[in-house]
Amino acid sequence: MKLKQGSFLWYLYLDKLYCLLSVRNVKALVEYFHLLDVHRKKTLNDVLFYHFLHHVTDLTRNQITVVFNMLDWNAVGEIGFDQFYMLVCILLAQEQNHLEEQFIFRHSRPVFELLDLDGELKIGPDNLHMYNFLFNIKKQQLRDLYHNFDITGDRLLNYKEFKLFTIFSMDKYQESQKAEKEKKKEKALLKKKLSQVNQSQRESLLGIKPFESISNYNC
Amino acid sequence: MGRSRRDPAPPPSWSVNPLPHPPRPEACGNWVRWGRSMEGKPLKASAKSSSHHGSGGSSLQDIRNMWTTATLSQPKLNVQLPTVREDSELEEVSVSAKTLWLDEKAGHDAEGGWEASDGGEDKDRFKPEEPEELELGGDSSQGSRLEEDDSKTDNEKPSSVSSLDISRHTPHRAYWVEQQSRLPLPLTELMENEALEILTEALRSYQSEIGRGHTLTKQLQRYIEGLKRRRNRRLQVLAI
Repeated sequence: MKLKQGSFLWYLYLDKLYCLLSVRNVKALVEYFHLLDVHRKKTLNDVLFYHFLHHVTDLTRNQITVVFNMLDWNAVGEIGFDQFYMLVCILLAQEQNHLEEQFIFRHSRPVFELLDLDGELKIGPDNLHMYNFLFNIKKQQLRDLYHNFDITGDRLLNYKEFKLFTIFSMDKYQESQKAEKEKKKEKALLKKKLSQVNQSQRESLLGIKPFESISNYNC
Repeated sequence: MGRSRRDPAPPPSWSVNPLPHPPRPEACGNWVRWGRSMEGKPLKASAKSSSHHGSGGSSLQDIRNMWTTATLSQPKLNVQLPTVREDSELEEVSVSAKTLWLDEKAGHDAEGGWEASDGGEDKDRFKPEEPEELELGGDSSQGSRLEEDDSKTDNEKPSSVSSLDISRHTPHRAYWVEQQSRLPLPLTELMENEALEILTEALRSYQSEIGRGHTLTKQLQRYIEGLKRRRNRRLQVLAI
């Protein structure tokens, strides 16, 4: 899922630690929502919601319908600002340097409630797979999730198990970030060394040439 | 923050950079009081200033009072004061007020009414991007400038000031104070343009699904026309 470059949402950003919008961003978002609220009901109906998402993202019609059904948790056929804000945070978490793990970790309860479509306080693998495009949970991760964290063994995740999963994936993500940083440092060091070696070679070459010319002159 | 890839269209600084320092409590309090007062009744000049905020609070109240009296004294200005509004439809009034303010400014510039300390700066600073710069870094400077100017006005001139002096100083300051509560113009433009595109597509769906004669379709059509009119008016104002 990608945000359209140059769109209004593209200019917003999430706080990296808490994965929320700043007050200024929220103020701008409120104005934006107000502009789209054509019928002055402080909500967006399914048509407006579809065209909004279709315009600012590359989601398909089915995916947009899935998102709408997920957010319409009151089953009124309309999306209010709370749900809209949630959606924007999810979109931005994916867009900006892949903050999905951080987002799910920080907001595990609301995400769990979003994924728990039936209201049974448990999530099945189908639920997670359905929203894979939003939260970017890969197949291998899903398998690990149910293999390692289904403590009760009912092939469903309750909230505690889900929370454990978010903590684990957050730790893994931080480790991978550290490993990437170390790799980058090593590369930078290698480059420096190489450049130093090249420089010393050049200097040594330059040092040899005048010496040779003098010795030739003497001969 | 990995924004180096977004070079072609740098985001407005307003949305990117949060306030580096928390605003002064008195500035916040004044902003909130000013916003609330502008929504409701016009203020009357108060002889006694509140001791809690010192000269800053009373000077702002005097400014507000002079702002209201300035508009009343000017026969051509029949528009209500631009207030902090949430309803986007009422933005038209503020746009017309801005145009009238611009005309007034142009007139005063011709007369040489603006003093050098304010006039030159005004011309340079009247840009859509300016409010956020003032907001980010200029709270203290603006506040101190306000206090300085107001102390001068208080000391040098009596309470009954001439209408020319009122129109010289107060609309400018009140305008900028009000601007702090508004979104920057480039962001508003971007939002409105995008909303127009989305709603135009939605209108097509409405027309095909529920018909052109349906109430909702007509409502959406009127709304889109209103948005377009507002956008055109703003473009005309900017062109001036």
